Amino acid sequence: MIDIKGLYKNYGSHQVLKNLNLTIPAHQVVAVIGPSGSGKSTFLRCINGLEEMTQGKITVNGHEIDANASKKVWQKAIYAIRQETGMVFQQFNLYPHKTVIENVTEAPIVVKKMQKEKAYTIASALLKRVGLSDKENVYPSQLSGGQQQRVAIARALAMEPKLMLFDEPTSALDPELVGEVLKVMKSLAEEGMTMIIVTHEMNFAKNVADRILFMADGVIVEDANPKAFFKRPQTNRAQQFLQQVTEF
Amino acid sequence: MDLVLENIPFLLKGAYYTLLITVVSMFFGLIIGLLAAIARIKGNRFVRNVARAYVSIIRGTPPLVQIVIVYYGLVDYGIELGPLTAAYIALSINIGAYVSEAFRGAIQSVPKGQTEAALATGMTEKQAMRRIIIPQAIRYAIPPLGNTFVGMLKETSLVSVIAVTELMRSAQLLVAQYYVYMPFYLSIGIMYWLMSNSY
Ligand SMILES: Nc1ncnc2c1ncn2[C@@H]1O[C@H](COP(=O)(O)OP(=O)(O)O)[C@@H](O)[C@H]1O
Ligand SMILES: [Mg+2]
Repeated sequence: MIDIKGLYKNYGSHQVLKNLNLTIPAHQVVAVIGPSGSGKSTFLRCINGLEEMTQGKITVNGHEIDANASKKVWQKAIYAIRQETGMVFQQFNLYPHKTVIENVTEAPIVVKKMQKEKAYTIASALLKRVGLSDKENVYPSQLSGGQQQRVAIARALAMEPKLMLFDEPTSALDPELVGEVLKVMKSLAEEGMTMIIVTHEMNFAKNVADRILFMADGVIVEDANPKAFFKRPQTNRAQQFLQQVTEF
Repeated sequence: MDLVLENIPFLLKGAYYTLLITVVSMFFGLIIGLLAAIARIKGNRFVRNVARAYVSIIRGTPPLVQIVIVYYGLVDYGIELGPLTAAYIALSINIGAYVSEAFRGAIQSVPKGQTEAALATGMTEKQAMRRIIIPQAIRYAIPPLGNTFVGMLKETSLVSVIAVTELMRSAQLLVAQYYVYMPFYLSIGIMYWLMSNSY
């Protein structure tokens, strides 16, 4: 479903991603972990074109983006990929001038030209699914962080994506609100959604993910099965990292 | 004082023109300003430079000079505008530059995450701009636009030099008729102040 070949990303002379190569089959749940600054967000954002890669080729659901392609070809492929890919951000990024349900109906109406009524029906069902039926008509600022992030997930799901990208979805949340968001993500995983999740929630990664990518300094240092990885990481780098995050 | 009361209708008519010129110029200035702001943020290099030059020239020259160029200067090229039309044109172009700065600041103060969220759902840059960024930017732009509006209200007094009988020129005409200054100038001062504080 996702095929990445020779992906490089530079910011000026700073190499942030160095030759990533991997394939992710449909329905796989991938947790990306690693120290801050290792390029996890950049990797995720290259997949839906929020960052332009410097070199390489990414194929998502048959849509190919190539660093060497013309701007026009790139744009066309990236629009196609974005319509089939949901993204959830650390800071939620809900639209503050729109109500909760308008946040969810916006893309189907604007991008898919869906009938308003149908979009609202779908949005209502999604909000029910993330446990926010009673919040349809309030503004995001009136919600807790956990509720906002669940709306953001519903907003992404409204486009009926085949792939979901999560960039530290619980890192901005108070600890007691983390669970409600992880629960929604777990149910998505159980339904077979293809997911790439950048996270610092090691328990979630261990229990929900099918595969761990451990990144450091722009390289995938380990690509492993979660059980094996958490029991015995193969590299020093990963061992150190796990020690640091599990201390206390 | 009696002289002022006696001539209130005349002064009110001047105030009406002052407001009219302000509102009309503000209206066209808003359109010009929005276009210039988008040109500066989203245009290609050429468009960006044109918009930047426009803002720089307008902000770097006295409005009085801009007004006389439109009214007197264009006559050299066979373009003879009525005073009121010249006032509308000069002031709309003038205010557009200030409005564009207000909009540009406002658009840039919408967090980058908003555009990213919109793009990530599949919107085009244009859709994201229109549906997500501009509605939020308008809220950020309201306070500076209010200042611009008040500034414009006061700046309209400059078009008295091209014989538009707005508030300033109304007072000048009365002064010339009665040979007293203070009551009339004081009155229009108060009228400007009232209008500035009641928008
Ligand atoms: N827009 C940018 N300009 C320059 N450098 C950047 C930019 N975004 C990220 N970086 C750099 O790229 C590296 C990887 O960043 P990021 O992908 O955010 O890491 P992570 O998500 O793993 O913390 C960091 O060194 C960061 O400073
Ligand atoms: Mg990050």
